[in-house]
Amino acid sequence: MALCSLARVAYSDVKHNFIIHYLIAAAVVFTAPVFFSYAELNERQAAQPLEVIISLIGCILLTPIFMPEQNESIRDVIRSKKTAYYFICLIRLILSFAVLAVLIGCSVLYMKHCDSKVTFRLFSGTLSSAVLLGAIGFFAAGVADNVIIGYMASLFYYMINFTLKEKMGVFYLFSMMQGSFEEKKWLIMLSLVLISITFGYLKLIKKQ
Amino acid sequence: MLFIKECKKLLRSVTFIIYSVLVVLMFWTQYWDVLDAPLNETACMSCEETKSSGDPELIMPAALDSLTSCYLSNSYICYPYGFFKSVHLNSANSRKIQKYITELSGLSSDEIEALKDQNVKYYISHGTTDYAEYNVEDVPLKTDVTYERFVEIMGDVNDILGGGSDYKPEALAYNFSQVEMTEEELKEQYNDFIEKDHISIAYGRLFSDYLGIDLAFVPVFVAAALITADRRGKMKELVYSRKVSSFKLVFTRFAALFATMIIPVFLCAVLSAAKIMYMYSGSDPSFTGFFAVSGAWLMPNIAMTTAVGMLVSEIFSAGAAILVQFIFWFGSLMMSDAALYGNIGKFTFICRHNRLMHRADFMANYDNFVFNRIFYLMLSLVMVLLTVFVYEMKRGGKFNGIVFFGKGGIFRRKA
Repeated sequence: MALCSLARVAYSDVKHNFIIHYLIAAAVVFTAPVFFSYAELNERQAAQPLEVIISLIGCILLTPIFMPEQNESIRDVIRSKKTAYYFICLIRLILSFAVLAVLIGCSVLYMKHCDSKVTFRLFSGTLSSAVLLGAIGFFAAGVADNVIIGYMASLFYYMINFTLKEKMGVFYLFSMMQGSFEEKKWLIMLSLVLISITFGYLKLIKKQ
Repeated sequence: MLFIKECKKLLRSVTFIIYSVLVVLMFWTQYWDVLDAPLNETACMSCEETKSSGDPELIMPAALDSLTSCYLSNSYICYPYGFFKSVHLNSANSRKIQKYITELSGLSSDEIEALKDQNVKYYISHGTTDYAEYNVEDVPLKTDVTYERFVEIMGDVNDILGGGSDYKPEALAYNFSQVEMTEEELKEQYNDFIEKDHISIAYGRLFSDYLGIDLAFVPVFVAAALITADRRGKMKELVYSRKVSSFKLVFTRFAALFATMIIPVFLCAVLSAAKIMYMYSGSDPSFTGFFAVSGAWLMPNIAMTTAVGMLVSEIFSAGAAILVQFIFWFGSLMMSDAALYGNIGKFTFICRHNRLMHRADFMANYDNFVFNRIFYLMLSLVMVLLTVFVYEMKRGGKFNGIVFFGKGGIFRRKA
């Protein structure tokens, strides 16, 4: 019964609120090969479209988790329900993460099909960059209660990686393009910290 | 007064604070180091600067060698959207390239193939296969080939490759005729810096080059947040019912956005100009020159990005405005020329000139620069007028915007 109600929540959320984000993310992934070569790339060359373009879908998919309840009246209705709000957000987060993994997987497999040297570490590295961009947006949108600020924070981080480059240290987003994979575990750890802080903030401070 | 109210609201907003941080960060991390020490004549004369000579005698043989090498390897490196693209031609297109090489060199198909054995060959591990690449030098160039015909052929080659190749006519001089600057040329360049740029104009260009990247995108967040604030605060209907005209309201908001977003840029400019005045106190740098060039360069960026943010947010949503401007910004940035100086086109939105020197290259495109700055400023005003129109329609209940979610959303199934 509980599972059935969860499935209904997920279905309704996807249908009414998130399908457009999934479509935009899919559009980014499927149009990328039109603009950038996926054929016969070595590992570093393959990392370029993956880190610079494909990782952006993390921002598209994870930032708007709180968007449907930006309107205070909707939030009042949500508060009156038995299911905890942060639990609904967690379901959305898991769904978006699954879509993210599938779309990045499609890109990597297509590269492989085009005879490029892509490995599982390129897939996981891209996923960690995308998750961090999304987690920053998720955190900023959750704390500031404004999805625009979420997008801004996420793209802010993306932009400073272009300008500060290696000065970003272990949190450098485009390290695979330089041939380094060490940074990726730090990106994942930072993402987990940001997501946990956001849920902690929602549950303990905002009491949603 | 409405303008002051909107400015106060903006100055207290989180989006404006993040915007300011981003502007200051760009200024501090990218530009400030340039002001570490003054550029003196000795340093300028000892640097190894190159320039495009544009000499057909250099361009034609170098481009032909490069094209023949790529043809033999059937691997052409292109950057059609600023990103690496490895192009491998099919046999029909390869034959077209071969015909052009034959026309330029007089070598038959077999003679071109024979070059493979006469030149350096090395193996590249690419993807899952290893393939040979060739470095062909001294391919003979027929004496009766005119430069005009050569450029025409290179244009065709570039088209066959899908654009963004080394052979695109406007990039031929930069790619194949780089020569070291002579002492006289370096001296002339330094004199231009002192006498024509009055020092500060050169710094103003570099300052604008860096900040222009941020200002072509980040203002959209501040604009979108302001436009959607009424909806979020449930004040939309209340504002609609006020006596103030849509024209006055929308233009006041545009003016407030523009004025507040200028503030951090202006403060950075003041800091920079003050440091230049101090560093070059003996050389009498122009104080106003810095503000003139950076103002003309950056104001259209802020105006255009703000206008896009306002219009798209009013018609669709803040998210759509961010997406549209991001695509425009990313496309403009990626299509910048590899040289990062000089090449400014009639419709270049993000103008680049990442050098203190090379004034002559900038001035060669000065007409384009003036045209595109005025064009984008005018376009932004037209977009604000369109925003007034959309706002008036929404106010009159004739249009409710195109929304994706919630009541009236196009993805919401009607009952």
